[in-house]
Amino acid sequence: MNGKKKNYKKANLAKDYFGYIFIMPFIIVFVLFALWPIANTFFLSLTDATLFTMQDPNIIGFDNFISLINDDMFRIAFTNTWLLWLGNFVPQMILALVLAAMFASTTFKIKGVGFFKAMYYLPNLLMPVTIAALFQHYLTVHGPINTFLVGTTGILSEPRNFLEIVTDTRITVMFLQTWMWFGQTAIVLVAGMTSISPSFYESAMIDGASQRKMFFSITLPLLKPILLFVLITSLVGGMQMFDIPLLLSDGPLGPPDNAVLTLNMFMNARRTHPANAIGNAAAISVILFFVSSFISIILFRMFREDDGKKRRRKEKTA
Amino acid sequence: MDTYKLKNNIYKTLAYIFLITLFLITFVPIYMLLINATRSTEQINTGFSILPGTNLLENWRIIQGFGINIPLGFRNSAIIAVSSTVLSVYFSLLTAYALVVYDFKFKRLFYGFVIAMTLVPLQLYLIGFFQYMHAIGLLNTMWPLIIPAIASPAGVFFFKQYLDAALVPELIQAARIDGASEFTIFNKIALPLARPGAFTQAIFGFVAAWNSFMPPLFIIQGNQDLHTLPLIMQRLQAGQFRNDFGAIYLGMAITLVPIIIVYAVLSKYIVNGISLGSVKE
Repeated sequence: MNGKKKNYKKANLAKDYFGYIFIMPFIIVFVLFALWPIANTFFLSLTDATLFTMQDPNIIGFDNFISLINDDMFRIAFTNTWLLWLGNFVPQMILALVLAAMFASTTFKIKGVGFFKAMYYLPNLLMPVTIAALFQHYLTVHGPINTFLVGTTGILSEPRNFLEIVTDTRITVMFLQTWMWFGQTAIVLVAGMTSISPSFYESAMIDGASQRKMFFSITLPLLKPILLFVLITSLVGGMQMFDIPLLLSDGPLGPPDNAVLTLNMFMNARRTHPANAIGNAAAISVILFFVSSFISIILFRMFREDDGKKRRRKEKTA
Repeated sequence: MDTYKLKNNIYKTLAYIFLITLFLITFVPIYMLLINATRSTEQINTGFSILPGTNLLENWRIIQGFGINIPLGFRNSAIIAVSSTVLSVYFSLLTAYALVVYDFKFKRLFYGFVIAMTLVPLQLYLIGFFQYMHAIGLLNTMWPLIIPAIASPAGVFFFKQYLDAALVPELIQAARIDGASEFTIFNKIALPLARPGAFTQAIFGFVAAWNSFMPPLFIIQGNQDLHTLPLIMQRLQAGQFRNDFGAIYLGMAITLVPIIIVYAVLSKYIVNGISLGSVKE
């Protein structure tokens, strides 16, 4: 690695200015189309800007943030976002762990692993907007799910209007998020599991450890960095949940009773007609950003501290 | 020994039942959509069918009567997805190449910054971007959905890792001795060398752009001639046509079929590419 670097250095000393030339397009576009908009979001969050105050909006300090914190709708959106994320992350993780343990197991030898992986991953590639619209159709009173539950199997005595019931609508959103992501997570976990050296399992087997014991004391602890990766990406993504609840619930504010109103949906509602309150919408984005960064950093610290403690304990016993 | 075998067989059977149930849960909703796209509304109302119907062309005719131009949406989606994917792959590679091959001031600072930016969520940028595009008159044009692809931190991060492993310094030196210009070396040597990685990135980039909903909703909502398929899907869903089930299902199927076809051909490749960014070593 070091030798390679030196080689480059020797070869390039005279042409290093090309480095600047080659990164120029990135820098120019990034500054204009990403950094400036981000700075603009922060700025707008401190103003009373609407879409029509193009000149100089008034700087009102943290008024947007204060009014949001006192806004019931914002609180609903905030709790919903967490609830919907948790309700999809937990089942998704359990499913993915079970699947990954099956796929990676050397004693189990499941046939058709490639096929199952490919099928479970498919929903992740499909347009979320369409998936939400599709399930809205499936769940109507005359839809196929009610036909199946009432007509075919008789589980229900009469059709249920799922998407007009708060709990059912929430469960549907959680289900769809799980449905779209469990395969992806399982595949990432399998890759992590197969990268664990077999020698760990061999020596545990010699000591007479059971499959379950090995899973909990070898696989899971060694999988920690990947679990952390999955947790943080899922959290950051979950905080931005938008397409599925919006299209499923058929209204900008996540009906019935704002059951699935997420922060991003609320932000979008503030941005659009009739409010057009860009400043207020920007403040929601800023809050979302700080919350998800803050939680990510805490999670990161927790995982690392936990590791540190264990290492220290080991050193003591050794 | 026998009880062990029996136990193992029971577990195995349970495992397959579990796997097949999950398969049905992922497969049936998609299959049912594709089948229903070929059936008439009356047929759909009678329940589920395993075999396709014969109403595909009729459904297509009904959709055209909605006044929603799906072929145009398809074209818009394709233009935006293809051009943003090409730009993002090419310029991410170029930027990563600069980081791998050249030595310059602030290089490490720049790379650290790129990594940090991969963690910034989309919506922090979106609202400021929307207001800014509105202010400079680019709202309701395609440019704001294409140009930003040139600066993709995640792409740069991916290709930096990739080129670190794939690029041989001797190759570049040899090309220099032959008198090739720096830019030619990138285009003629580095680019072909990075083709497998570029292909993986391109597939995931294309899928993301094809399915993307929130940015076009913010940027081109006001111009129906530019609507991409996700925006069209939203209009179909909100419209008064939602009881024409056959046609609606066909509309939904059109948004999914290109991706399903690509996946049918490249699924092995795509599944292998998923863990590339997440698991190292």
